[in-house]
Amino acid sequence: METKITRGPIVNCANLSMTFGKSCVLDKIDFTAKPGELHCIIGPNGGGKSTFVKSLLGQLRHEGSISLEWDNQPGRIGYVPQTIEVDKTVPLTVENFISLCVQNRPAFLGISKRVKKEIDSVLERVNMLHKKKLLFSELSGGERQRVLFAQALIPSPDLLILDEPMNSIDRTGAAIFSGIIDDLKKEGVTVIWVHHDLAQVREKADVVTCINRSIIFQGVPRDVMDEKHLLEIFTAQPVQEAI
Amino acid sequence: MEMIYDLFRHLIQNLAQAGILPDSLTYTFVINALLCALLIGPTLGAIGTLVVAKRMAFFSSAIGNAALTGIAIGILLGEPVASPYVSLFAFSILFAIFLNFAKNRSGMSHDTLIGVFLAASLALGSTLMLGVSKTINVHILDNFLFGSIITASSDDITLLVVAVVATIVIGIKNYNRFLLSGLNPSLASVRQVPVMKYDYIFVILIALITVASVKIVGAVLVEALLIIPAAAARNISRSLKSFVLWSVLISTTSAVVGIILPMQLELSIPTGGAIIIVATIFFIATLLLRIIRRQ
Repeated sequence: METKITRGPIVNCANLSMTFGKSCVLDKIDFTAKPGELHCIIGPNGGGKSTFVKSLLGQLRHEGSISLEWDNQPGRIGYVPQTIEVDKTVPLTVENFISLCVQNRPAFLGISKRVKKEIDSVLERVNMLHKKKLLFSELSGGERQRVLFAQALIPSPDLLILDEPMNSIDRTGAAIFSGIIDDLKKEGVTVIWVHHDLAQVREKADVVTCINRSIIFQGVPRDVMDEKHLLEIFTAQPVQEAI
Repeated sequence: MEMIYDLFRHLIQNLAQAGILPDSLTYTFVINALLCALLIGPTLGAIGTLVVAKRMAFFSSAIGNAALTGIAIGILLGEPVASPYVSLFAFSILFAIFLNFAKNRSGMSHDTLIGVFLAASLALGSTLMLGVSKTINVHILDNFLFGSIITASSDDITLLVVAVVATIVIGIKNYNRFLLSGLNPSLASVRQVPVMKYDYIFVILIALITVASVKIVGAVLVEALLIIPAAAARNISRSLKSFVLWSVLISTTSAVVGIILPMQLELSIPTGGAIIIVATIFFIATLLLRIIRRQ
């Protein structure tokens, strides 16, 4: 029997709840993501997906438990944010941005030798190497997203968390993303992806969780993503607004 | 420290006597002025790129105002009128820390909060200043408000050297961390940057360099030298490297020209004003350049 390689952790949330002021944003979420698996998170806008991701990263106060169970030592976490706001304040090239994330040497002094090859190689992987000298403000939304994705690959992550913005991934980007994620899965990386393209989720995800304040449904996509459930997502209003 | 100044002074004086540098550089106070310009210019220019990138222009302006209040408190407490540094440092740094604390906790829009702090500090400062003005010659305060290079003592310069070294060492070592935590706190935090801690370190650095520059550039205008050169550099830069380089260059040139030119022309104008006017000329020129390039 083939033994599964596990590099990533088992991510476990039990009874996770979060309130901002008086409104409940997340209500008793139970969630498990396993190594070598792509776990997609879907749900209406304002339903708490990004909040969920931030609490997974340990950046928000919450009730309930979140644990990362590593096989050996804690590994590396890669994070792809929805967006970074750079346009008006600082002239940042693609290369500047990645070196800023991955090296100690001040990014304005150039790329340190230690990471130069790695930076070129991840930019090549997301097909952005030819645009590495361009400013962020000169990129399309999809291209920016590819650069944000590229930085999460240095150093090679064991747990990868993607918070994808609505409408910004283009077709080329989607193909590149899913190719790389397939490779990472084979290496036993745990992947959690906030996704908006339901067709892609149905095709690619191993497990899907739909969140709208609480869990609407959860399971293997072909079992749970039927018309009735999908209709629920599209017609759902963010729950906290309805209170 | 004194020995290093003397070496620098002798070097410049010899060069001036040999006719390589302008005649006026044979005077000690002119050399002091040049030294200050060469310390303040590059430091404020470099750290200014972070102030602009982190959208903290207004914040640094509030700290400049706080310096004024610090001076008034110092004089009231009986510190030397020309150098009330203990109160000046203490108040400005506490002000910066408290403002950052409130920014994290209030859940209020930052510009509103800074506006409140800025006004409160100015109100307190001006009230105390009026109290102080009965006991001392109020013209001494002009130096703090608008900067005066002629009154800069060796102690002032030593203080400036310490602040400059601290700012440059800490600023360069942590440049990426400061910038990344401004661009995206979540990403910075995943990248093992304790965002809140670095925010505090950054505001303390700004307070430190602001206070140390107050005697030379003046409390009213010191933050302008943090912002204008970086803003001018932003107009013409196409990478982080050129952004920092241009900002340092514009800031240093503004400081040197702003300090030396009025002396050469024997104009009795405040140093701070002259420096900022030169910086503003750079800003307008780069803005025009940007507009022309875009067309």
